[in-house]
Amino acid sequence: MTDDYDVPENAEAHECRYCGRPFAREEWLALHRGLDHPAQLDDDEIAAFRAAHEAEESALGNFRLRALGALVVIYFCLLMIYALV
Amino acid sequence: MTTRRRVVGWLAGTLSLLLAAGTVSAHGGSLAGGGRESITVPTWLFLSTGGAAVGASFLLASFVTDRSFIERIHDWGAPLSVSDSRLPVLGARAVGLAGYVTVLGIGFFGPTTPQTNLAILLVWVGWWAGLAMTTYLIGNTWRLLNPLDTIALALPSLERDYPARVGAWPSVVGLLALIWLEVVSPLADDPRLLATAIVGYSVLTLSGAVVFGRETWFAEADPVERVFRYYGRVAPIGRADSGLRLRLPGMDLSTPRLVDGRDEVAFIVALLWGTTFDGLVTTPAFTDLTTPLVEAGLPPQLLYPIALAAGFGLFLGAYWLAVRLSRRAADTYLDETDLAERFAPPLLAIAAGYHFAHYLGYFLVLAPALWVTLLSPLSDPGAVPVYEPPGWFGSVGIAAVVVGHLVAIWVAHAAAYETFPSRLQAVRSQYPFIAVMVFYTMTSLWVITRPEVSLPYL
Ligand SMILES: [Zn+2]
Repeated sequence: MTDDYDVPENAEAHECRYCGRPFAREEWLALHRGLDHPAQLDDDEIAAFRAAHEAEESALGNFRLRALGALVVIYFCLLMIYALV
Repeated sequence: MTTRRRVVGWLAGTLSLLLAAGTVSAHGGSLAGGGRESITVPTWLFLSTGGAAVGASFLLASFVTDRSFIERIHDWGAPLSVSDSRLPVLGARAVGLAGYVTVLGIGFFGPTTPQTNLAILLVWVGWWAGLAMTTYLIGNTWRLLNPLDTIALALPSLERDYPARVGAWPSVVGLLALIWLEVVSPLADDPRLLATAIVGYSVLTLSGAVVFGRETWFAEADPVERVFRYYGRVAPIGRADSGLRLRLPGMDLSTPRLVDGRDEVAFIVALLWGTTFDGLVTTPAFTDLTTPLVEAGLPPQLLYPIALAAGFGLFLGAYWLAVRLSRRAADTYLDETDLAERFAPPLLAIAAGYHFAHYLGYFLVLAPALWVTLLSPLSDPGAVPVYEPPGWFGSVGIAAVVVGHLVAIWVAHAAAYETFPSRLQAVRSQYPFIAVMVFYTMTSLWVITRPEVSLPYL
């Protein structure tokens, strides 16, 4: 991929040492290394990927709960409106 | 197996949404053939339901978080074996040429009643409705059928350098010009005019092919070739590195680098806007809105080009605003153009859904007429058979719109997963695009529920 990057000045950027792609957060860099360069990682990077992946999984669990809540709200709002109209 | 359970849940949710949309569509009236009925649910409710269906499908898609599962869905398929024989290609080119000669011949010398003129029926029913539908449902054949491409094969080429800076912009302008011509001129009623317009378009296209080279011209500047090429990307059969390949419909749209540059993004938005503009100009609101403008001294001839350009600007502006917001929401350092290119192709599924909703009824109603005139192109039978679609037919159109959106949301979801390392970041990047899709959907649903009036000032 020949992506173009646009890093704002004074912004913190964590650059991938394999492909140069910059990230705003270190965990994203850790995830990127594990996903895009799995064969090249050293032990520290593998550990960082595992940790970031675990943190991501639990954040996703929270997100799923909120998404489910939003779905239920949408569904019941529509149901009530249809019952009233 | 959690993945499977999730998929089953997702499918069940989607189905219940489809059913909900189906109940609404029972009142939604017919999309096709121009006969729009008034709906029994209030418009605001119909529109909110459409918008909510888009938002809810996005939430449902976001439950699928297994990267390898998404990849499996997208890589599913098989290469199709194609014989090396040149015969199918030659046959397709011959069919295209025969159609072209027929349209010009019958257009200039055939019967003048539009319902019995083969040129009118072949262009609007056979080509713009029928062939376009096969393009996104099966695969793009226009690449081989295109008669102007075949004629250009026989012409010399000056091979001038096509300016790279110009890119796809001529095709964007060309597409908008074609939409304008289709809306304001009686091209669908007057065979002589239609044939004249085709001659004009052919002269322009062939000169372009001679000056810049056939392949460059059709790849970059020709709007028609690009429309079919883009619709073809929605189809299950597409071109791969070696020959043809079968895959799930729409899945090609998440491939990186499918769209390159702001010009190609603009073309996709123009395609989407075109289907909306077609219906918008026949709404009473359009007449109400433009009457004061014309009374204030705006020349009526300028009204349609200005409305077309303004609406295109609005649609494009909304898309670029979403790109900017998405970049902020995802906190990414990828530049704007990159994001715009990544998330524009899914809109093609929506455009295809609208096209299908708009033209399936039109095609079915007039297909018998096309068949009869095809058998006796020169006689004027006076009356031709038409097909009467059943009453539930309107829901097919709404279902097509819904399916187009579901595919678009899924493909954008997959593209976001491929673009961003964090899955939450990927989901966040989609919020602005979902808002834009809701805006496009509600606009289109609003248009199809308005009563149809004749075009003002024409
Ligand atoms: Zn990298």
